[in-house]
Amino acid sequence: MDMLTTRGRAVRLVATAVGAALLLAGTFWGTDDHFPFGPFRMYSTSNPANQPAPDTRVEGVDRAGSVVALDERRTGIRRAEIEGQQDRYAAEPELLREVAEAYAERNPAAPALVEVRVVVRWHGIRDGRPTGRFHDETVVSWRAP
Amino acid sequence: MAGAVTSVGRWLTEAVPRGRVAAFRTLVYLFVAADLVIFTPWVRTRADVPGELYQPLLIGRILPLPTPTPLLVHTIFWVLLGAALLAATGRAPRALGWPVFLLYLEWMIIAMSYGKVDHDRFGLLVALAVLPTVGAARHGDRTRTEAGGWALRVTQIAVICTYFLAAWAKLRFGGLEWMTGSVLARAILRRGTDLADLIAGVPYLLIVAQFGIMAFELSSPVVFVLRERWRHLTIGFFYSFHLVTMATITISFAPHLIAMTSFLPLERVRPLHWLRQARSPRSAAAPPGPVDPPAPQPAGQVDDTGQVVPGRPVGP
Repeated sequence: MDMLTTRGRAVRLVATAVGAALLLAGTFWGTDDHFPFGPFRMYSTSNPANQPAPDTRVEGVDRAGSVVALDERRTGIRRAEIEGQQDRYAAEPELLREVAEAYAERNPAAPALVEVRVVVRWHGIRDGRPTGRFHDETVVSWRAP
Repeated sequence: MAGAVTSVGRWLTEAVPRGRVAAFRTLVYLFVAADLVIFTPWVRTRADVPGELYQPLLIGRILPLPTPTPLLVHTIFWVLLGAALLAATGRAPRALGWPVFLLYLEWMIIAMSYGKVDHDRFGLLVALAVLPTVGAARHGDRTRTEAGGWALRVTQIAVICTYFLAAWAKLRFGGLEWMTGSVLARAILRRGTDLADLIAGVPYLLIVAQFGIMAFELSSPVVFVLRERWRHLTIGFFYSFHLVTMATITISFAPHLIAMTSFLPLERVRPLHWLRQARSPRSAAAPPGPVDPPAPQPAGQVDDTGQVVPGRPVGP
């Protein structure tokens, strides 16, 4: 059997304790910013059983007037990343130009976008179950000058 | 006090067969390569996303890591892909293992620095950080190793923390109301499958499921005190939980699933060895069984990975 030396065992014990301490601190007081030691907060927020649920999407309008869904495949930007920076976009709609640029970069043959908007579809929920009804709300939009 | 530290230390470094470490290492490094091209291919699209949308995480600001450019993203992609595939052979476990860990960490920092952090790969990152510390481990080798035991144990702890501390985060951010809220209904609306829509139609089923998730996450550390058979059954249950989340809300948690194999007797899974046995008429007569016969091997034996066994002379 391969035994550890006393020093090897002590170093591993200390490393384990330091890692565990960082992870616990991240869980109790940290935020996502402290990756990889932040809290495991996937699906951790609580929403009242009858509160409508937002379903965010980004769409663009091109020169020809067609509406284009600006998803991860077309822009390289994930939906959750738009939501994560939604306040930033709302304060600075000009930033949506970056989304249009990312789209142009990945789809050089497509007509240029003249408008980009973030739309939230609010789905009705009753007793923790979807009701099947919804309405759309445009939360930020940017038009090419 | 000293006695407690000693017994925790003994538990943390409980020896495992070297073959288990070798198999886990191959699996983890193959996954890193697959992650680059199949599971999280969108990280590469960062090359096209304008730098202004880059919001570096704390670790990226402290180090300080550069804002991703197409050159940086493509270079990391190709170097990491090559290094991970080489590391999967078991060769140069330290010289390849450390670069793979550092490059994959940077790859993940790039991935998570645009407004959304994923929580599915803490166990994998821990595995990548500790595997290089084990050193050489040959497939099928039954010699027990304490260094290997520690690597697998801390990976297991990271995997269980992902459950237990996720329950803690639910209580911290959502409170007890999390269980009676509409979090699953929201998830289904955002990314549900047809199966999920069917489930959502059953009154109160989603609320019951929320209680169930909280209970299973809070009790997950129990796996460490179970006997082997029950431990394996419990790990099977964890996998089935992810199968259901995949089938309903299309969340795969793939890196976590790979890290969780650290609980399993992976040394018994030897596809290359079986293939060779099936092809060689001499060993075809050997008794069947998942574990290698402990027959002495000729000098200069080459293992599954094509690597020459350390400590044995090459050639006759």
